[in-house]
Amino acid sequence: MKKLVSLLLAIMMLASIGFAFAEEKVAPVVAATELAYKGALELMHYSTSEESQGNGGSDGFRSVIAAWEAAHPDIQLTQNVLANAEYKTQIATLAGANDLPDVFLLQGMNTIAWAEAGLVLDMSDIIKASPYYADYNTAFFAPFTTPDGKIYGLPALTGGTCTVVIYDKAMWKEAGYDAFPTTWAEVEKAAEYFEAQGIDTIAFGNGGQWQMNSDFISTLGNRYTGPEWFSSLIAKTGAKFNDPEFVAALTETQRLFKDTKIFNEDFNAVTNEDAREYYIAGEAAAFIGGNWDESYIAAVLKADNEEKFNNIGFAVLPQPADATKAPTSQNIGLGYAMAINPKVAEDPDKLAAAIDLCYELTGPAFSGYVAKYYALGGLTKVADVDLSNFDKITQDFYNWSYVDTETCEIYDSYINSAVWSVLNTDMQAMCNGEKTPQEVADATQAAYEANY
Amino acid sequence: MLDAIKPKKSVIYLYLLLPVAMFVFTVFVPLVAALVYSFFEWKNGPVKTFNGLANYQQLFADATFWQAFGNNIYLVVACLVGQIGIAFLLVLLVNARTTKLKGVHRTFGFFPSTISAVCIGMIWTMVYHNKYGILNWLLEVVGLEHLQQVWLNNTENIMLIVSIPLIWQFIGYYMVIIFSAIAGIDSEVFESANIDGANAWQTAMHITLPLIKNTMLVCITLCVAGNMKAFDNIYTMTKGGPGTSSMVMAMYGYKISFEQFNLGYGSTISVGIFVLSLLVIGGSQWLVKKITAKVEV
Repeated sequence: MKKLVSLLLAIMMLASIGFAFAEEKVAPVVAATELAYKGALELMHYSTSEESQGNGGSDGFRSVIAAWEAAHPDIQLTQNVLANAEYKTQIATLAGANDLPDVFLLQGMNTIAWAEAGLVLDMSDIIKASPYYADYNTAFFAPFTTPDGKIYGLPALTGGTCTVVIYDKAMWKEAGYDAFPTTWAEVEKAAEYFEAQGIDTIAFGNGGQWQMNSDFISTLGNRYTGPEWFSSLIAKTGAKFNDPEFVAALTETQRLFKDTKIFNEDFNAVTNEDAREYYIAGEAAAFIGGNWDESYIAAVLKADNEEKFNNIGFAVLPQPADATKAPTSQNIGLGYAMAINPKVAEDPDKLAAAIDLCYELTGPAFSGYVAKYYALGGLTKVADVDLSNFDKITQDFYNWSYVDTETCEIYDSYINSAVWSVLNTDMQAMCNGEKTPQEVADATQAAYEANY
Repeated sequence: MLDAIKPKKSVIYLYLLLPVAMFVFTVFVPLVAALVYSFFEWKNGPVKTFNGLANYQQLFADATFWQAFGNNIYLVVACLVGQIGIAFLLVLLVNARTTKLKGVHRTFGFFPSTISAVCIGMIWTMVYHNKYGILNWLLEVVGLEHLQQVWLNNTENIMLIVSIPLIWQFIGYYMVIIFSAIAGIDSEVFESANIDGANAWQTAMHITLPLIKNTMLVCITLCVAGNMKAFDNIYTMTKGGPGTSSMVMAMYGYKISFEQFNLGYGSTISVGIFVLSLLVIGGSQWLVKKITAKVEV
C-alpha cells in the first residue's frame, strides 16, 4: 500500500513538473546590436515584480529588460523600480530638481511641459531611424508629440482600454437583454428590474477621484464633443472646457450618477477595486473600469467561478440620448513612453545604448511576447496574432479592444495633472449634486488657462 | 566633584554636532527652502521664476485652502474634546477604587495609538462601509435601518465621521500622559478631600484638574499641533472628498505639490500651514492660561 502511495505521489510530482515546463514562457530575443558603450545606464520604470505577476505588459517589459541585459553584459543597467503611484511622484520630483535618470517612462501629460523645460530628448529622428519604424502604430505617438510636431518618446507597455463595460450575460439575459444595451435609456429601464432583485445594475468606484475621468467622462465626453474638440484643447486652438458640448457631457454624467438608480449608491466612496468585487460577488450585473480591472476579474472568475467567467461580456459605454458622436468609441492608448534625458547625448556611445534599449523595449521582442502570452498589443504591430491558444474571454476582449470598436483619446494622457486634479475633485462633488456641471466646467477651464 | 566629571566644551559640541546637523537639515533647511520657493512660480519642471507675492495673493484668495483650514480647526476642537476630554474621564474611571484590571485597561486603551495611521484609516473605512461595515450592520440589528447610509459620502457630516477614528486612536495616548500626571499627586490630597466630603466630580474638577494643569497644557499643545498637520487617516479614508469636503491643509499642500506639481504654490501652502499652526497653538496656550488664571483667582 505504501509503495502504491509513493508511486502515485511520484507520478503526481513528475506530472506537476511537466505542467510547469509546459507553461514556461520562452524569453524574448532582442537584437544583438553591437554597442561601444561600457558602463552604467540608469533606467527608472514601474513594472515591479509584483505588478508583473498579473500584468502582461509588466511581465513583457521586465522580460525584455532581462534579455537586453544578457545581450549587453558590459553595460550595468541600474534600475529604479517603483509602483506606479510612487513612480509618478518621484519622477516629477526628479524633474523638478533637473535630475532625471538616463532612461525613464514619460507620462503623456508631461510631454509638453518637460520638452519646453529641456528635460527630455527630442526623439523625432531617432524614431524615424528605428529598424522597427515600419511596424509602429503611429497613432500611439500622439500624447508624446508637441504642437510643433516633435516626438519625445517611444510609447511603451501595452495599449489597453480605460473604459470597458464588463457584464454578466446570464444576468442580463434574465432581465430580457440578449446583449448589453446600447443606450442609457435602456439601461435605466433594466435598472428597474435589477433594483427589484436587490442588485446594482452597474458597479463603479470613484473613491480615488480619477476613475470618473479615466474610466467614464473621457469616453462619454467624446460622444458629445467628437475628437476634434479634445485635439483643439491639446493644441490650444480655441476649444474650452466650458464649451456647451462638454457641459452637456458633464450634465449627463451628473444625471446618470445622481438621478438614476443605475450605479451602486456608494460609487463616490469606494474604489474601482471595491466595485469590481461587487460584480465578482454577483451584487452587480455589470461593472465599468479599465483593462487592469478586466484582467483581475477574468483571473479571479476563471479560478473561482467558471460559469460566471464564461458569461463575461464586453460592451462600450451606452450612448446618451442627446449625444451625436462616435457611439462605439472607447478610450485606449499607451499612456507612457520610453524617454531619454538630454544629458545622455553628451556621450554618443551611451546615447546609442539608451536608444537601443528603448527600441527593444518597444519593438518586436516586446510586442511578440505580450501578443503570444497575453493577447495584448504594444507600439509595434504583430501580424497574425494567434488567438487560438487563448480562452474565449481573452479572445473576445482582444477583438473588442483592438478590432471591433472605435477608439478615442484618454484625457489624462494629455494636458497636465493640475487641470485634471481640479476636474476630478469637482466631478466627485458634482455627482453628489453639490456643484453644477457649469461650475465644474468653469473651474476646469480656469485651471486649464492658469496651468497649460 | 561635578566639575571633575563635566566633559570639556569641545566634547559637548562634538556630541551635539550630529543631532543638531540632522535637525538643521531635516527641519530648518526645508523650512527656509519652502519660504524661499514660496516666492517663485515653479511648476512641472526645474524652471523657477520669481513672482514676488503672487503665491501669497493666491493663498489669501484660495477658498479651498481656507476651507481646509476650517476643517483643521474643526479637527482640533473635536479632538480636544474627544481625545483629551474622554481620556481624562477614562483615567478617572480607571483610577476609581472599584475598577478592576486597571493594567488591562491601560494597555488596551493605549493599543490604537501604536497602530499606523494608514491601518487605522483602512480599519475605519471597513467600519463605515455601507454594505459590509459593522456600523450599518449594528443599525440594522437595533432596528434603525433608516439611519443606514454611505457614511464616507456624507458631505454634511464628513468631518465628524473622519474625526471619530482620530479621536479613538489617540485617547489612550493622552490617557498615559494624564495617568502619569495624576500618579504624581500626593495621595494625602485626595484623602483629605474625601474626609471633607468631596464627591468624585468635585475632586476631579477642583483638585485633580488644577493640580495637573501644566500636563493638560502640554496635552492641549500636542493635540492642537497634531491636528494641524492631520493627513494620513483622512487621506486613506476619503482623499479629502467628497469633492473637497474633508480636505485638510497638509493634504491640500500635498495635492498641489505632488498631484498638480505646482511646487512654488505648494511651498506657499507649507508656509501658510506653519504660520497658522503657530498662531493656533500660541492662541490656544494663551486662552488656556487665561482661563486657568481666572479659575485660580
